[in-house]
Amino acid sequence: MEKFTLEIIQDALVAAGDEMFKTLERTSMSPIIYESLDYAVGITDTKGELLAQGNGVTAFLAALDSVVRATLEKYNETTSLKEGDVIIANTPYAGGGTHLSDVSIVYPVFYDKKLVAFTVNKAHWTELGGTFPGSVSTVATEIYQEGLHFPFIKIKSEGVFNEAVIDMIKANVRLPDSTLGDLYAGIAAAEVGSKRVISIIEKYGLETYKKAKNDFLAYGERMCIEALKEIPNGVYEGETSIEDNGFGEGPFPIKAKVTVTDTEFIADFNGSHPQVKGATNLAFSGLVTGCRSLFKAITTPRMDANGGAFRPMKVLCEPGTIVSAEAPSAVSVYYEVLITSIDLLWKILAPIIPDKLPAGHLRSVCATFISGTHPDTNQFYIQAEPLAGGWGASATHDGNRGQLSCGSGESYNIPIEIREMRYGIQVEQYAFHNEGGGYGEFQGGNGQYLDYKIISDGAHVTAAFLGEKTKTWGMNKGHDGSYNYFMIIRKNGTKERHSLGTNIYLEKGDIVRCVTATGGGYGNPNDRPKEQVLSDVKNGYITKKEAQEFYHIKK
Amino acid sequence: MRVATDIGGTFTDLVCLEIDKESGKPIGVNVAKSDTTPSNFEQGILDTIEKAKIDLNQINFFAHGTTVVINALTERKGAKTALITTKGFRDVLEIARCNRPDLFNFNFVKQPPFVPRYLRFEVEERMNYKGQVIKELNTSTLNSIIAACKQENVRSIAICLLHAYKNPRHEILLVDELSRLFPEVEIIASFQVTREWREYERTSSTALSGYVLPIAKKYLNNLEEKLKEKGLKNAPYIMQSNGGITSINDVKDNPITMVESGPASGVFGAIALGKVINRKDLIVLDIGGTTAKCALVENGQVKITTNYKIEHSRIEAGYPIQTPVIDIVEIGNGGGSIAWIDEGGKLHVGPKSAGAMPGPAAYGRGGKNLTTTDANILTGRIHPDYFLGGELQPDYSSIEEASKPLCKSLKGTKEDIAKGILRIANANMINALKLISVNKGYDPRDFAMVVIGGGGAMHGADLARELQISELIIPPHAGVFSAFGMLMSDIRRDYIRTNVLTLVQKQRHNIQSVFAEMENEALNNFKIDGYTRENITFTYYTDLRYAGQEHYVKVLLSDFDNDTPLEAIIEYFHKEHKKQYSFELDTTVELVNFHLVAEVEVDKPDFPKMKNTGKAIEDAIFDNKEVDFDDLGIHNTPFYHRDLLEPKMTIQGPAIISEKATTTVVTPMHVVHIDEYGNLILTLQKA
Repeated sequence: MEKFTLEIIQDALVAAGDEMFKTLERTSMSPIIYESLDYAVGITDTKGELLAQGNGVTAFLAALDSVVRATLEKYNETTSLKEGDVIIANTPYAGGGTHLSDVSIVYPVFYDKKLVAFTVNKAHWTELGGTFPGSVSTVATEIYQEGLHFPFIKIKSEGVFNEAVIDMIKANVRLPDSTLGDLYAGIAAAEVGSKRVISIIEKYGLETYKKAKNDFLAYGERMCIEALKEIPNGVYEGETSIEDNGFGEGPFPIKAKVTVTDTEFIADFNGSHPQVKGATNLAFSGLVTGCRSLFKAITTPRMDANGGAFRPMKVLCEPGTIVSAEAPSAVSVYYEVLITSIDLLWKILAPIIPDKLPAGHLRSVCATFISGTHPDTNQFYIQAEPLAGGWGASATHDGNRGQLSCGSGESYNIPIEIREMRYGIQVEQYAFHNEGGGYGEFQGGNGQYLDYKIISDGAHVTAAFLGEKTKTWGMNKGHDGSYNYFMIIRKNGTKERHSLGTNIYLEKGDIVRCVTATGGGYGNPNDRPKEQVLSDVKNGYITKKEAQEFYHIKK
Repeated sequence: MRVATDIGGTFTDLVCLEIDKESGKPIGVNVAKSDTTPSNFEQGILDTIEKAKIDLNQINFFAHGTTVVINALTERKGAKTALITTKGFRDVLEIARCNRPDLFNFNFVKQPPFVPRYLRFEVEERMNYKGQVIKELNTSTLNSIIAACKQENVRSIAICLLHAYKNPRHEILLVDELSRLFPEVEIIASFQVTREWREYERTSSTALSGYVLPIAKKYLNNLEEKLKEKGLKNAPYIMQSNGGITSINDVKDNPITMVESGPASGVFGAIALGKVINRKDLIVLDIGGTTAKCALVENGQVKITTNYKIEHSRIEAGYPIQTPVIDIVEIGNGGGSIAWIDEGGKLHVGPKSAGAMPGPAAYGRGGKNLTTTDANILTGRIHPDYFLGGELQPDYSSIEEASKPLCKSLKGTKEDIAKGILRIANANMINALKLISVNKGYDPRDFAMVVIGGGGAMHGADLARELQISELIIPPHAGVFSAFGMLMSDIRRDYIRTNVLTLVQKQRHNIQSVFAEMENEALNNFKIDGYTRENITFTYYTDLRYAGQEHYVKVLLSDFDNDTPLEAIIEYFHKEHKKQYSFELDTTVELVNFHLVAEVEVDKPDFPKMKNTGKAIEDAIFDNKEVDFDDLGIHNTPFYHRDLLEPKMTIQGPAIISEKATTTVVTPMHVVHIDEYGNLILTLQKA
């Protein structure tokens, strides 16, 4: 039966995606790629329909197919893409763009001189120049301050590198070895995928391959529609806000109206605040990617992603809002707006599908960038990473502890033993905290402290912790959780609490305490069995005082 | 006589090699199988010894592989364990690496730590990354920690301090002090388990080692005692995950090294076999009831890694154990794997397995799902007289019943479905085989494939054809090959240390002194077993990477002495890196890990040769039936008893060769030669 052959081709495409994913992980020189896995790889057809995608983070779901489509808009003559060409792009406002740090590699795959597919990846490169180390600024007001911009250019033409561009990159970034290493790793991954696609076609023939891919897309759509039927139809609305734009201004509202039918899912963000001064803006293509990840979470979380599974979803928003920002607005902190948008849909839908969505989680990447000079090697370093915190409790279990936000996924924290060797910092503690919140029949997961002591002579920190004024949300009578923030504890003991901060100077001996939120609780705390409360006290997840005050345990 | 026993999930296997006293040559193989006895594992071994009628007085070599460690872990039957860490870091074990492999499931549940928070204690002390003490160890709090452990009936204490991989001094002090103050518990520190960096992985490894330490020690003590009672003179050797055996006392100190001993011995058995038949580049595939495992052997060597995790899957992060394990890929595809259809109408096979109860539909024990085994029956590839070792006739009505829902949704006959199941099961295995070969820069066509386990020979020919592997080897006793492999293993210990340095000439001295230190450690360990420098062969590996990169390439330092220029090593690294990752960089090369392999060759038997008694090949044929070879057509096919085949015989496919523990499928494109060791050598003929 041909049906089984088609399935085998589809699985082979998914396996090729996995292989590209591994290649990039293992060859990259940026910790944010190989530890945080802040990247995605994929295969599309010649029109940019997604056939397979390997993800390290959830936030690139619309990034790969869109970047191929945008590439095809620029190179629209049949002769303008040639075998051996490789395109790089990081435009935030088009083609699945996010911020300049996320760079896409688009690799057209040729078989018998005909274009048959694209392999593509998008990864967070640690350094792309710009005003501040790490190419992230919470006080940028225009994209020009945020680093190098590659507007869909051929880094390779018919197999030959564009050395001029390579030289430009070398001259404009702070860590050229690392940046170019990421470029080569991305190309290597795409090459591996290309080889696999070609071997599939060689084995089964081009026509069967095409049939398999179309069948696969239709399958994705079917799976998605089946899942959609289980979500109660209706129109649901909600509102949230971005607390701060980095200039002490805010809050800025984001609004969403979700319409669910048996065959459609429409997320309408019209009415959200206009784009703002500062870098807390999200371009429309980033909004689509965020909506896709939430949509996937509630429809086909465990199916290999493909374009068909997103056909029933639509995103609406007029241009120029904080979630549909246009050039030349700054966007380097886009991820906070993206997660806030996901969290908004999440909060709107959780009450109707509590089996799929728990209460609110830390809702921020809590990204920190610390830069300075290594005390032993005298080399410049940038430590960039997302931080873990508490997740919300759900109708069936307590909240998870020590997890990165929903925007991450198969991302890892940086081991202390590696960071202390690589960077001029020493970690003083890495532990769950007792800042309270999250009480409920099911308890929200604890947030945590991560204390960095600066041991180099001077360093700078840039960070964005949204949720400094808003707690994570509880659900169904569960209490809200706690706050994200970072605190600088100076050598003399003075403390400064921050939400967003750019290039704050640190002296040797200063401590940066990163605090991530405890997740929201689920259900009435009075319904939590006493022995569980006592066990939480014994484990120190909550204090005796909290047990008395919120769970009415006398002892 | 030499005996090896292997405890598996379902069966305990025994292989006994009888040696001719005069010539010292092996004359025969005795095999026994009995049910694994999970409540009392050593009983299963004694049962097989009884079954095989072996007199332990006559045994001068006894090797043993066991699942006792992995079982204690997966069934959570280990001891109540406490953990001691550096102050400020007791939550490292629970925070873990913060990843979420089940990416889009926002309602996931994180796997809980093996040591609950109330049993995780901290001591004041601190090293920096260079291994320098920046805060002295304060042991004054130990008494209150011990009091708390006593109160909670803790049986085992694991210790893992920051940067102890670089300088274990504080851990050593803690172990000494605790042993003095609290002698009734087991104590293990990270430096005894692993000397690699990454505090979470090391903490996890140590905690899990502590967790299994009491139960494994007790098991090994019982086993040793009972075997002695029955007359065994020499202490048994124990199989480890690195493919080597070691003394029973060595394993008692750090039993986590046994965690994956079963698959390791199968692979090493294949390597030993490869040596005698002159095949050094092998792909080894072991197909069991629930999973298939594969490994790649290059020039007689299989890679050892420490990136091992238990309970790790596409949706779960798992628990790392930094212990040397042979580099295997395991997938949820075996004979019992269930075929099922998802909401979108797509057919899948596995990873869920029907297990032994109820088993495949053909068992007739109430199994309602069609499995890979059933598909093999439907295509006629398993002879009914040889089903389940001939103990049972396949229940065809049960197969018919189980295939109905699939036929209906996929609109096909049960024969179509069976072929679909086999294609998908094979495709899953092909993907696994590519992971170890093509994906790592190897061309499968350069390898011979050895298939073992109950299902290996069923699928081997189709897989080899797909990968264009021209030679497929099915050894005798393929079904119990893991036990067989133990008879062929040497004593081996792996020492791995993280010590990052730039690979430049002025570091040569440092490199040599680190290896020298490791050699001393090895010599001390081997001294306990009575071996000296002359008995030991050292092999030196380093894990190298481009400065700034995270992942490394393992490079063998052959003939590394004072004169070997570092450039040669660097050059080799560039080449290997390009092979694996398709590019090389003009950047400084860093050495991350030192890896020393210390081996003592044990006196091993030859593989037993099989005599040619001049039997006629026709006599081996016991039936002719139609067999469906899918794309190669349906053929009237002869069925052979494997027991009646002899060296120098040749069989042209299509053919089916049946034996008790497995069935070999020979496609119309294959021809079989039986070699002097009784191996079936299947060769792919050009179409």
